[in-house]
Amino acid sequence: MIPSAMMQRLLPFATLILMFVALCFVPNFLLASNLASVARQTAVINIMALGMTMVIISGGIDLSVGSILAMGGFLGSLAMAKGMPIPVAIATGIAVGALCGFANGFMTTRLRINSFIVTLGTLGAFRGLTLIFANGLPVHEIPPEFSFLGEGNILFLPTVLWVLLACGLLVHFLLEHTKLGRYAFAIGSNPEAAFYAGIPVAFHTTAVYAICGALTGLAGMIEASRLMTGQPTAGQGYELQAIAAVVIGGGSLRGGEGSVIGTLVGAFIMGLLANGSDLLGISPYWQQVIIGAIIILAVSFDELRKRRAV
Amino acid sequence: MLLELKKLEKRFGGVVALRDGNLQVRPSEVHLLMGENGAGKSTMMKIVAGMQRHDGGEMLLAGEAASFANPKQASLAGIAMVHQESLLAPHLTVGENIFLGREESGALGMVRRSRMMERANQLIRDHDFPLQADWRVDKLSPAGRQLVEICRAIAGEARLLIFDEPTSSLSESETRSVFAIVQRLKEKGAGVIYITHRLEELRTLGDQVTVLRDGATVHSAPLASLTRAELIQHMVGRDLDHLYSRTPQSPGAELLKVSNITRQGVLEDISFTLCAGEIVGLAGLMGAGRTELCRILFGIDEADAGQIEIEGKLLRARSPRDAVRAGVALIPEDRQRTGLATQLPVGWNLTLSSLSAHSRLGTLQAAALSATEQKFISRLRIKTNGPEQRAARLSGGNQQKIVIAKWLARGARIFLFDEPTRGIDVGAKMEVFEVMDSLAREGAAVLMVSSELPELIQVADRILVMRQGRIAGALPGRTTQEEIMSLAAFEKENPLQ
Repeated sequence: MIPSAMMQRLLPFATLILMFVALCFVPNFLLASNLASVARQTAVINIMALGMTMVIISGGIDLSVGSILAMGGFLGSLAMAKGMPIPVAIATGIAVGALCGFANGFMTTRLRINSFIVTLGTLGAFRGLTLIFANGLPVHEIPPEFSFLGEGNILFLPTVLWVLLACGLLVHFLLEHTKLGRYAFAIGSNPEAAFYAGIPVAFHTTAVYAICGALTGLAGMIEASRLMTGQPTAGQGYELQAIAAVVIGGGSLRGGEGSVIGTLVGAFIMGLLANGSDLLGISPYWQQVIIGAIIILAVSFDELRKRRAV
Repeated sequence: MLLELKKLEKRFGGVVALRDGNLQVRPSEVHLLMGENGAGKSTMMKIVAGMQRHDGGEMLLAGEAASFANPKQASLAGIAMVHQESLLAPHLTVGENIFLGREESGALGMVRRSRMMERANQLIRDHDFPLQADWRVDKLSPAGRQLVEICRAIAGEARLLIFDEPTSSLSESETRSVFAIVQRLKEKGAGVIYITHRLEELRTLGDQVTVLRDGATVHSAPLASLTRAELIQHMVGRDLDHLYSRTPQSPGAELLKVSNITRQGVLEDISFTLCAGEIVGLAGLMGAGRTELCRILFGIDEADAGQIEIEGKLLRARSPRDAVRAGVALIPEDRQRTGLATQLPVGWNLTLSSLSAHSRLGTLQAAALSATEQKFISRLRIKTNGPEQRAARLSGGNQQKIVIAKWLARGARIFLFDEPTRGIDVGAKMEVFEVMDSLAREGAAVLMVSSELPELIQVADRILVMRQGRIAGALPGRTTQEEIMSLAAFEKENPLQ
């Protein structure tokens, strides 16, 4: 018999597998083109959610990722429109994201403002700045080869899936095998004890936000590649989906808990849900209700598990 | 019989917290409940107070079977509990907390605030507590919060009161007030159950004593019939005939030199030195500035004037990080809040301050980490299922050992122990003292802040006594409690006048 704590932890995986098996009976689901499109659609949220996982583990939250995605994607696209090579443009998107994340981290730690408030502010500010840079208009002058990032394949699999895999491995490595990751858990679990232990709390917290921003900038470039435009209005509401993925995957908004694998599972649960509903003709309005219910269910199961464990 | 517990059982998952809890409390009786941490005292009392439900056995209240689904039901049955950890609403005032959940309400359910505050102030005045009803609880010291808990328990007309280590954070005079309260409750016919680790408190207070060990009642008798040594023996199940004693060695080089440290309104002109191989005690009443001094030495607060030198080098600590780098370690008074990330594994906590030494280019060296974890778990005899276990699951004494090990792994040389034995059982206390002794032998300097005078006398080589932010005097280690207390509490008489 599997102990109940273990069972609860496996619940997201079980849900994902169950959903997948159930969807196999839905016509067209198993088509390679459909599965590839699930992967492509989920990848953007997934990569953002990886960064969000780190932030949430360290006890914070980043509500501004949707706006960071737009700024990174837009400025990266603009770089291409100005004639920069594609790799430089992608690096630009990532760097812009990292800078935005750094700003979030800096204000959270140096001005000692709650991360919810800081990023609520930058959610608006970053979006506004992007619209100012863009003068409200998207960039279309993007080289056609750039679509390879969002729509291309490497070894029969979507490019984004490889990118996601690389990001997942990177974040997993950071969280489980580096000082930064260990400190993130400690700061999220008990910031005061971390400070008393002599950890440079501000530095590492800022680093976590910057990494989240960088990943979000990359997600912004993928989004731009999928749309083949640099949209200053891209990514609205994505922050909630990214947070939802982390929470469904076992991350705790109180900090100190979360994992890459959990977040990936959480994001794919949401992705499959959206895809399955589309195939079954369930209205997108209902999809929102279902996802909302799943978030609440996932968290309440988790709380139940913890209460039993103590 | 007011309260009778028969073969009470409580399990948490696979863990048996209580397997054979027996207790009989009469009206007008002060019943002491003793036992090492993890013996099941708190669990048993939480069942009585309606915070947990028993899985087996019987609870009889005034001869009738009782079982409470929540604290409210227990409270209606006349049971009140003063908790060891503060269970107050920090953003509310003292008065609001005292009457939380039983506010007097007038028409339309509106709370009669001014009357409530008046009653709270009356209660506070009756017991001479240094509180006011309109103070916010989050501004209070741990001792202040404890007093609010006590007010809360005695505000209702309870017939059975449970005190869970009520005086562990209180000063001498506050402790006396608590004893007076207990005495008064007894005279009014209430039953009092009193959990304590402090053997010194026993004699003046208790009528009957029950000892728990490993979740079972092992002994119950009138207090007068037991010697202190017998009690300890029941608690730990082994002989502890000689209390701790250490052989001091001659001090080595000067490691820490504090000169004229002043912090407005808190500390004034503090100067002393700590040498390698020394254990120096720091005594004083609550509010004398002992914890505040530690905070400055550890870089949490900054001094207004004065300087700190470590091995001859000036230390300018703006954060604990600077102090830690200079080799200073703080084992804080409040280990749950500032010493440990309790939700994280034991091993992670152990190595939290020494990750840099265990990593290359920011990458953790798993083998080295696990070797360090194993080394300190066995060296300090930390009782745990393994380094992956969450620190929250360990007893207070074992948690304290994790905090100490964290600094040992870091290679600290100056150790500030702030109330190192608070809330830990007798056996673990001895082990903490042994660790302190071995630290000193290996050339570290130890500053031991403690309110437990017998412990200071047994462990420290010399004792500094603080009074109202100043060092009132220094005493040799083999001094008496009376000597320390007279320095801590009274101005020195000038022999010339």
